[in-house]
Amino acid sequence: MTDYELLAESPLGGIEIELDGFNITEVTDKSLVMVALPRDKFKDVESSIDKSCGLKLPEMENSIKSKDSSITLWRLQKNQVLAFFTYEGNDAESHLSGRLSAPAYYTDQSDTWAMIRVSGERSRDVLERICPIDLSPEVFSVGNVSRTVMEHIGTIIYRDADDSYVLLTMRSFGRSMLHAIEVSADNVL
Amino acid sequence: MIINHPLLGPRDSEEFVYLGSTDLINRPTNWEEEASAEDFYQYQYIRENIAGDHQELWYHEQGDQSWLVVTRNTLTHEITNVELAQDVSRAMGRGK
Repeated sequence: MTDYELLAESPLGGIEIELDGFNITEVTDKSLVMVALPRDKFKDVESSIDKSCGLKLPEMENSIKSKDSSITLWRLQKNQVLAFFTYEGNDAESHLSGRLSAPAYYTDQSDTWAMIRVSGERSRDVLERICPIDLSPEVFSVGNVSRTVMEHIGTIIYRDADDSYVLLTMRSFGRSMLHAIEVSADNVL
Repeated sequence: MIINHPLLGPRDSEEFVYLGSTDLINRPTNWEEEASAEDFYQYQYIRENIAGDHQELWYHEQGDQSWLVVTRNTLTHEITNVELAQDVSRAMGRGK
């Protein structure tokens, strides 16, 4: 037995930055699990997740929330969904497959992503300098999710409320992404 | 340049990677025959150099990772049609 234990750390150390009309917060209470859909089982998956959580397969670049709002499914590819849900344990994969109980393939990706929430009334002004997709409120509505490029790196963007966006970028790039957001905020605010 | 993705709508070409002519879908299937060497030579090395509408393969690497068949005019860069390569390839009787 060792006399020490290792502690898990979030990619950005739980950073919280408050500026005028703009906030940056690391999301630390969520897990992300990829759910790959077998081609001939779309219908089975759909009826199973409907029965277990009241979920449907979302349309492309859209999301859907479970009845208790704890699980959000994102559809970024035709043959898979990403489950974004409140969970901090180390067994997100089995936790989710237990809750959905659908015949699909589950892969835990929680620790591979840095998750950053940018919020506040100026959030779109700051994001429009680094995000190539159209974020106008009527085009990219609440619940929309997209995978695009920011700072040349693949990034997922999810609008979870009127003035709140969650950005996911690869863990090793988290600090650089944070820097890019801060620079943009510095230029805009 | 904007590519009108059939599933995702208009997206910046920065998100895509270009591969080449759609002819690459038609990989010869007669690899067991003697004559296949010539067919593979044609498939691998011989390219049309079209001045006009060109069908080409683009990969949405920084997006949903789909392959697209984009019809682009090589003189004007105007994109007139975008389809999922999966659909094009199936229509040709290839794949599952």
